[in-house]
Amino acid sequence: MSEMKEPLLRVNQLSVSFPDDDPYDGIEERDSVLSSISFELHDGEILGVVGESGSGKSMTALAVIRLLKKTARVDGGEILFDGRSLLTLSEEELCDLRGLGISMIFQEPMTSLNPVLRIGTQVAEALKLHQGKGNEALSDEQIHREVVRVLTEVGLPDPEGVCLMYPHELSGGMRQRVMIAAALITSPKLLIADEPTTALDVLTQAQILDLLLKIHEKTGVAILFISHDLHVIRRLCHRVLVMYHGEIVEEGETEKILDHPDHEYTKTLVARIPRVETNPGSDPVLSMDKVTIYYPPRNGSGSFFKKPALEAYVYNASLTLYENEILGIVGGSGSGKSTIGKVLSGLHGIYDGGIELFGQPLKEVLATNQRPQMVFQDPYSALNPARTIGWSLSETLRSHGVKSASERRRMALEMLSEVGLEKEIYERYPRELSGGQRQRVCIGQALLYDPKILIADEPVSALDVTVSSQVLELLLRLQKERNMSMIFISHDMNIVRSICHRVVVLEKGRIVEEGPCGEVFDNPSHPYTRQLIDAAMLG
Amino acid sequence: MKKRWTLSRIWEFLKLNPKIFAGLLLVGFFALMALLGQIWTPYSVTRMDSTSVSLAPGLQHLMGTDNFGRDVLSRVMNGLGITILVAAVTVMIGGLIGTVIGAITGYYGGIADAVIMRINDMLLSFPSVLMALLLISIFGPGTFNVILALGILFIPSFARMVRGEVIRFRDRDFVRNARLQGISDFRIIFVHILPNARISILTAAAIGFNNAVLAEASMSYLGLGVQPPTPSLGRMLFEAQNYLLNCPWYAVFPGVTIILVILGTALLSEGFKELS
Amino acid sequence: MNSIVKKLFSLIVTVLAISLVTFIVFSLIPGNAVLARLGVDATPEQIAAMEQQLGLNDPVLVRYFRWLGGALTGDFGQSLQYSGVSVSELLSSRLPVTLVLSGLSLALIVIFSVPIALVGVRLRDSVFDRLMTVLGQILMAVPAFFLGILMTYIFGLMLRWFRPGAYPSLTEEPVKAIRYLIFPAITIALPKIAMTVRFLKSAVKGELGMDYVRTARAHGSSEGRVLTHHVLKNAMIPVITFVALILAEILAGSIVAEQVFSVPGLGRLLITSISGRDYPVVQAIVMYITTVVVTLNFLVDVLYRAVDPRLKRGGV
Repeated sequence: MSEMKEPLLRVNQLSVSFPDDDPYDGIEERDSVLSSISFELHDGEILGVVGESGSGKSMTALAVIRLLKKTARVDGGEILFDGRSLLTLSEEELCDLRGLGISMIFQEPMTSLNPVLRIGTQVAEALKLHQGKGNEALSDEQIHREVVRVLTEVGLPDPEGVCLMYPHELSGGMRQRVMIAAALITSPKLLIADEPTTALDVLTQAQILDLLLKIHEKTGVAILFISHDLHVIRRLCHRVLVMYHGEIVEEGETEKILDHPDHEYTKTLVARIPRVETNPGSDPVLSMDKVTIYYPPRNGSGSFFKKPALEAYVYNASLTLYENEILGIVGGSGSGKSTIGKVLSGLHGIYDGGIELFGQPLKEVLATNQRPQMVFQDPYSALNPARTIGWSLSETLRSHGVKSASERRRMALEMLSEVGLEKEIYERYPRELSGGQRQRVCIGQALLYDPKILIADEPVSALDVTVSSQVLELLLRLQKERNMSMIFISHDMNIVRSICHRVVVLEKGRIVEEGPCGEVFDNPSHPYTRQLIDAAMLG
Repeated sequence: MKKRWTLSRIWEFLKLNPKIFAGLLLVGFFALMALLGQIWTPYSVTRMDSTSVSLAPGLQHLMGTDNFGRDVLSRVMNGLGITILVAAVTVMIGGLIGTVIGAITGYYGGIADAVIMRINDMLLSFPSVLMALLLISIFGPGTFNVILALGILFIPSFARMVRGEVIRFRDRDFVRNARLQGISDFRIIFVHILPNARISILTAAAIGFNNAVLAEASMSYLGLGVQPPTPSLGRMLFEAQNYLLNCPWYAVFPGVTIILVILGTALLSEGFKELS
Repeated sequence: MNSIVKKLFSLIVTVLAISLVTFIVFSLIPGNAVLARLGVDATPEQIAAMEQQLGLNDPVLVRYFRWLGGALTGDFGQSLQYSGVSVSELLSSRLPVTLVLSGLSLALIVIFSVPIALVGVRLRDSVFDRLMTVLGQILMAVPAFFLGILMTYIFGLMLRWFRPGAYPSLTEEPVKAIRYLIFPAITIALPKIAMTVRFLKSAVKGELGMDYVRTARAHGSSEGRVLTHHVLKNAMIPVITFVALILAEILAGSIVAEQVFSVPGLGRLLITSISGRDYPVVQAIVMYITTVVVTLNFLVDVLYRAVDPRLKRGGV
């Protein structure tokens, strides 16, 4: 890349603000979402933008393609693309540019495709709109050929058939491939990708990233890649911008930034996942022996009168959890890892085989206060939005037979401080808390009755990276202090490797590998485990 | 730290929600008028006076008099009471029963739910005035029967709304967790889940009240609702129609009263909707 | 196609079920059909003879099937309040008036609400849009019969554009009749126009906020193309249900409007029959309305399938 050449995209001192949406102060103010950001993107480069939710990374992307909401206002700066100033273009000129010079793909491939139009029509859209402008007009047949070509390029089998389908007939990964095809059909110079893999399964995520790399290699399209995931950025991007509160705090070669960050914020962002320091005991507290778990079929295939046959989600699973041990259960979506958690916590009860806790059958233990407690993935969903935190904690205690209201209050406040929260949280509603605070409350709620076994189902996957580390630290601290055993269900191989003693790998409902973390991660014996580790980009 | 509904906080709330404020003012004013109309009215509600027939609005009679010499203001005040009473009781019947049915079918699902909801949807696809007329043709006309008919009529819409809300929440993790803690289904439905639906229920109640006022007025206008000599706003409009040329004010004032009451509850329901 | 046959079947079952329920309920009501015919002075012998003649001593199910058999051939029995007139004669003389009135109302609604709504969406938050919103809010609060009375007073008594209460016969003077019917049609249509505009606006606005609209813009679609090529078909889905609802509401609105303007249609007949406890007529009108509503719902289902591909394969 020659140093002298004018960059493809140059953003100069760009500032964007929104009207203040807090009506309580009654003052007309504007919330700044981008403050004087500047960066350049060169021909054929992949530039990553990383930051947590609310850092302004998506705003940057939308500002470049001029798709910010109507209420947004550009307060200053300029955007130069291919020598043209984008901020002065008319709406009509913008329409000519979008989809031809700059294309964009989004996070949610399901909602980002029009549900009532055929895939073929949607992929052809950009080409149809821009034909005859600087290039010759195309016949319907030529357009169709292009559509098939680009669908083949993104690796969709049977492109002719896909053309006739509707979005709901495709899987998430296929939809994102369709989005990419639709964006690339006009061979744009710049592709903006806003968290394109976040909504996808781990393995699919890896495939889409491979596809983007392959396309980049072949066509040389420049990519502005927005992501919160450092591993994805590392895999894909040449350079990276780190954003924080609407500002670019650090910028440079990906390797350099991620391995030797200068800025304080970047340091917390790349902070290591905490490591487990305890040693497990040797007495088993929980054992599953050849357990098969069933569900009634989803689209009731049985008729009104005939009960439909059950479908197995997990087959012949046997595993043991020892005293003071953290056992990881990993697998892709649909592998049945959460199903096991549901059975152990008592949420689901249709299974064959034996499950024993502390030498007693599961069903008996579930009826006592010794039952395993559960921490759920989404702390937004796990707290009652209509009730205060104090009420929710107190209600749990009430259900365990603590009659005195003042005693319940005392215990709840004690628990709040144990999970590192202020007393004031007691009076708050869930919507007034951050994601991390909510997850702390949920952990506290699970620990109110001092369970010996805690089941955590993806407890940090809904949280930002820095918050996630803090919550994991809390879990490890509590596990150590309370001598608990823990089952940690996750799709994130990096976290499991770091905080679990042992790991069980599930593929399509079957346990394919089991062993101490060190052994399994260094030397996986099953190809599926290998795939998962590769997808997590540990290599 | 505890938040109380102090006067200044209520004032803040009303300033932020002008629709609720305006709605409360309108509904409150007419509710007071109606309440007053039950204990005191400027003139007798039913006594006819041949010396003051069809007087235009003036200082003596603010809303004029009708063709029998009855004071329109007094009749509006008193009739408003009947209208509001019918609407309030109707919404309470429909709301209570509908909420219970919706909450239980929504929470448990299954075949009973499917059957009840099919019947529900069927009933809802008929215009409510029509259904009310049908029920009246079975029960016969009269104030009590109108309340009964409208109350029954409002059950399906409440049931459907509450069912939807309960379904929205029943698979949330906080409900799962409550089940794990061994909390009874009854308590989960009514103490854990339903408070989340309170704004929707409030909105539906305001809309229901609105429809009930309209329906009662229509029924009485058609001669199938409140029977004379009890004044009711709809009934008054029916009587006024024949004397439009002589005393149009007899039609205008009850009509405008109905419009303002409905506008008030419509504003309330929209304000509530914006809260959620 | 199979599911459409299923729906058609359930349509027929629904109509039959409602006819059975209403028949049984009406036969339980104490108001006696015989007394209605013979008057209160009738002797016990006369009553017994009449009951025998009308077959009132048979079990209710037997009477139902006899009634159903007649109904299927267009014979709904005799009216009680108009002696010597059959129910089907009554209905066929009143139905055309109501159909014309409903048609006029629907035309007014469609002609006015679609443009107002689309202009409202394009000129979001403009003075025009706000004014229309407030006006709509007020219109929706006006009870239909009061609107009718106002129309009568303004256009009938003050401006004398029509003579209240003097409805010309549709068969003898069709043009004059239709000119008269315009006023009740406006009465029915005005609040419904307000409702429709509001509904259309929120449907289109809701769709404009969807992710796929952003995708369309990112591909270079102009604002106009976004509306016509991407949003319209999606916004149609809720509109279909709404139109069916509006059609049913027009039917209900015509009951009140016919009363206010003294138009001898089906609605007026229903009210007089309810007041006069003329159950054969009420039952027949109920069956007519049921059939219309159920058929509308069926058409909505069929149209849904045509518009929404998600229902076509492996649908509901």
